[in-house]
Amino acid sequence: MKISKKIIDNLKKSGVDFYLSVPCKLLANMIDILEKDKDVYYSAVPREEEGMGICAGAYLGNKFPCIMMQNTGIGNSVNAIVSLLQLYQMPVVFLISYRGTPGEPVGAQGGMAKITEDILQTLRIPMLHCSSEKELDKISTFSKHAKVVESPVAILCDFNLMKDDK
Amino acid sequence: MNRFDLLNKIQNILKDNLVICNIGLPSQELYKINDQPNFFYMLGSMGLSSSIGLGLALSQNKHVISIDGDGSVLMNMNTLATIGNRAPSNYTLLIIDNGSYGSTGDQRTFTDEKTSLKDVALGAGCKNVVECSGEETVNELNKAIDDKDNSYVIISKINSGNVKIDPIPLHPITIRDRFRKFIGIVKYL
Repeated sequence: MKISKKIIDNLKKSGVDFYLSVPCKLLANMIDILEKDKDVYYSAVPREEEGMGICAGAYLGNKFPCIMMQNTGIGNSVNAIVSLLQLYQMPVVFLISYRGTPGEPVGAQGGMAKITEDILQTLRIPMLHCSSEKELDKISTFSKHAKVVESPVAILCDFNLMKDDK
Repeated sequence: MNRFDLLNKIQNILKDNLVICNIGLPSQELYKINDQPNFFYMLGSMGLSSSIGLGLALSQNKHVISIDGDGSVLMNMNTLATIGNRAPSNYTLLIIDNGSYGSTGDQRTFTDEKTSLKDVALGAGCKNVVECSGEETVNELNKAIDDKDNSYVIISKINSGNVKIDPIPLHPITIRDRFRKFIGIVKYL
């Protein structure tokens, strides 16, 4: 819970006040925290691409949105990221559970893991890769950066960082 | 009645609300009929008009009308479940259902065969789902906006067919900023 709390505290500190998720077991604690938090909006959504659209609308309505998802969700969302969020220069934080990184028990997750950072690089999306607790301190500044450069940004949280966060 | 006729008929309602307008011909036709700063024209991301409008309605108090098409809703049907469970009362989804992919040459969609978007929306949890003719759409839209307690999904059944029209000349950032200025967020314009 300590890691999850730190991530959400940092996002809130940077002004993120609108959260969506397509669930992942590594995000479960953060979802629990957000469901109890009366200061921010939280909802699950069925698909990441749709979440990009809802985040775009929330930005138009003066919220600072974040979508939480597995890295597989980036694959589901490429067109929405390019032809909506980037075309209109909308700041949105992607909080990504980085499935398929070392510690991952499900072999099939390895495929998307191998190309996740390449996709984000191709999309020119700034990345913050968190593999240890101390890197979480960078989240607040990094998330604010999304607003400054009017762009989506991606925070990748490794499997091993999240798996023992009981 | 085709889409251009319908947009003409409802333009006076649209100009008083926040409007998210579907990519392609719907946006181009609306721009030609009566361009307004409170119209957000989608230049990409087919399928997401309903979702963008939902996020906007959840984030501020003005009434939001998402103008969508049957082809686009078929592409993003999962969002009907999100709307059924989460849409606030300041949200109306207007699906202009002409049974065809108008912007790509009027190929038939599945709503011209077996699929009923009304049944899909009801099954997805949307409570106030109205299927009506183009002529009835003005009344149904007014009812939806006047009802301060419920969100609506209106499926307006019209004929396919387009008018000859040019692409929207506005820059995406212009569309974004004048829209946010209308809401009261952008101060520098």
